[in-house]
Amino acid sequence: MSKRTTEAARARIAAQREALRKQEQRKRITMIVTIAVVVVIAAVFTVWTVRQGTSEEASGGSVPVTVEKDGTVVMAQPGVTAPVVDVFEDFQCPACKQFEEVSGPTLKNLATEGKAKIVFHPITIFSQEPTKGNSLRAASAARCVTDGQQWLAYHDKLYANQPSESVTGFTADELIKWGKEAGVTAPDFDNCVREQRNVAAHQEFSSKTMSTQKLGGTPTLKLNGKELDTNVAFVPSSLREAVESAGK
Amino acid sequence: MVQLASGASVSERLQPAKPVLSWVTTIARVVLAGVLIVAGALKIGAPALSVQAVRAYELLPDSVAQVVGYGLPVLEIITGLLLLVGLFTRVAAGVGGLLMVAFVIGIASAWARGLRIDCGCFGGDGTLAAGQDPNYFWELVRDLGLLVCAAWIVVKPASRLSLDSALGFTGERETSDEDGADGGEDDRV
Repeated sequence: MSKRTTEAARARIAAQREALRKQEQRKRITMIVTIAVVVVIAAVFTVWTVRQGTSEEASGGSVPVTVEKDGTVVMAQPGVTAPVVDVFEDFQCPACKQFEEVSGPTLKNLATEGKAKIVFHPITIFSQEPTKGNSLRAASAARCVTDGQQWLAYHDKLYANQPSESVTGFTADELIKWGKEAGVTAPDFDNCVREQRNVAAHQEFSSKTMSTQKLGGTPTLKLNGKELDTNVAFVPSSLREAVESAGK
Repeated sequence: MVQLASGASVSERLQPAKPVLSWVTTIARVVLAGVLIVAGALKIGAPALSVQAVRAYELLPDSVAQVVGYGLPVLEIITGLLLLVGLFTRVAAGVGGLLMVAFVIGIASAWARGLRIDCGCFGGDGTLAAGQDPNYFWELVRDLGLLVCAAWIVVKPASRLSLDSALGFTGERETSDEDGADGGEDDRV
């Protein structure tokens, strides 16, 4: 092999190495930029979805709450009769607990602001033990509370302490203890809970409600009688928007 | 690695070697991407429901269920978008495949434990509507089919209509393929 061809080959190899190096460098920059773009897009999606799931702060303002004879509970400022938000829920249903945690403050705020009349319909959807018994005991105990504000506090307390669906919970002792913690002052509350005095009335109300309202499950929200999609009910900002626009 | 002394230009080596197979990968990408994007998009707007759907499986502690409920839709959409445009194809398909494995485990476990839930794959809170029965078998068939798509892409990531080849991210892989490793790991990507 002559010296000249060796030199030419060397030069060619050097040029190719340089080209390869430049290509690698370009590739690296493209890679970094691309990864950065992907990360930014992921961050935007994350921020947005977190916002969709963020609950309102309870304003802490006062709103009258009335326990009706039929077992429903109305939360509304005096004179506010529309729009009506009907809340069908079961104290033992996990999705109802989640709904209360996420959108409960929004309902209270809307009622406090005089923008809606909220009507709670506690029902029992379960047909098997232990969930059926749990639900019946809790709902029956809630009916022992006669004062509206106390009922609401008790309602929140029951959801906060909801037992798992696989165990017997909401025992009489617990239900009485949480009643005291929620400030329930109804006379004879202890005996009312222990004797499950309201089970029959609750069951009747429950089955009547389910058949007349054609409920597919709980929680179900109805705005002026029309069922709200769960994608609205479980998104505080969407729920507020739906209720506010129904009130206009 | 790139044997330039052989005289072949770099750009020639970037071309996928087997056109038919690269189209198969493109189809697998679109199928997997489509399902992931739709599944993520139906959940991302209502994360509280998504969290509830995760809880319905009764597998994860609550704090983890929160993270999965919020994070999964984002991960599904990002992974789906990457697969759709063919960017970081192998990594995205690997993530998609792992998701399918996780879903298969979750659904199979719910079935085995006799839970009566909706898989929550495309939104909802995981509860079945009144009178509705679980659909575990077909959910498993679907996810296993998607797992096959993901596995195919991981093995043959080079495909038509992909940003990876447009941006020149596939050169190394092609070389390693030719070196005899069956689409072996590329530690530079």
